[in-house]
Amino acid sequence: MRAFAEWLSGTYVSVAIQSTFWFIRLLQATHVVTAGIACVSGIMIALRALEWHRADQPFAVVWQRFAPWLKWSMAVMVATGIAQTLGDPVREFTATSYWVKLALVLISIAGTLWLARSLRASPTAGLRSSAKLFAAALIVFWLAIVLLGRMIGYDLAIWGDLSLRT
Amino acid sequence: MSIASVLDGIQTSALAEWMRDTLPAMQVVEATHVLAAVVVLGTVLIVDLRLLGLTDSSRGFTRISRETLPLTWVAFAIAVVTGSLMFTTSAETYFANPAFRLKALALLAAGLNMALFQLTTGRGIAAWDLGSPTPRAARIAGLLSILLWASVVLLGRWIGFTKGYDFTIPPGVDFL
Repeated sequence: MRAFAEWLSGTYVSVAIQSTFWFIRLLQATHVVTAGIACVSGIMIALRALEWHRADQPFAVVWQRFAPWLKWSMAVMVATGIAQTLGDPVREFTATSYWVKLALVLISIAGTLWLARSLRASPTAGLRSSAKLFAAALIVFWLAIVLLGRMIGYDLAIWGDLSLRT
Repeated sequence: MSIASVLDGIQTSALAEWMRDTLPAMQVVEATHVLAAVVVLGTVLIVDLRLLGLTDSSRGFTRISRETLPLTWVAFAIAVVTGSLMFTTSAETYFANPAFRLKALALLAAGLNMALFQLTTGRGIAAWDLGSPTPRAARIAGLLSILLWASVVLLGRWIGFTKGYDFTIPPGVDFL
């Protein structure tokens, strides 16, 4: 993985991003703002699934309100995230936080879609206990995604021996 | 007592030393600060977009505020505590940093904007809470709020670009 990251960091696109310092800053700033929108939208959907928030509104209404924000902010996050990865592949690929964050992003997106599908298919049935537990876990996952994103830079300090940088 | 001596007192305190010398205290506190700040921005956006009349038009503004702002206040309190802890580590450097000063100004302006809204347009909320377009003053307050809170987050990120943290693990430092 390190060898691949080192090769990637020497490619034209990576060198172009690395050498345009303002672009990296712009990417990071955009990434953090859209992370707020994605995280809160995901949490609002999970809270409604648990009936802890906007329980008087049908799930479909809450989904319609927050899903587009989640979708577009995730799209911006993925685009700026890929560009940041290309700009510093060794730093990203050798960080445990990076891989855990990616895994949680995939689980959270898939989990949110699954919750939405279940609740839209049978709006009055509600969620089973296991699904409610998963919805609660999704709230933690959305928060962890933001937390881990910031921790990529401090991988050794956070993960110690578990860091891929060791 | 001068500002310089206060800043010096803060950054030589036992708490500041603990924050600087204990791994991974600063890193965890900083990541938590970022998380709290983006949750503040995300939740404020829900309320402000309603104020602008762009979303949730079938739901009263008062109701949206009541449902959402408690989460904002919890996140804000966490951001204040973690931000203060971070400040202790290099109080003098932070204080001299233009991005930090601008962030403090943006925070102050966001607070003033909210207070002004509560004291003026917010008082007549019953007339436009649900079913009527929000008044122009309320829309301006909402737009200002979005711009100011986004500035707070962006300037916070900018402090990291300009302050020059040193997160290299010093030799001999033990993990918690």
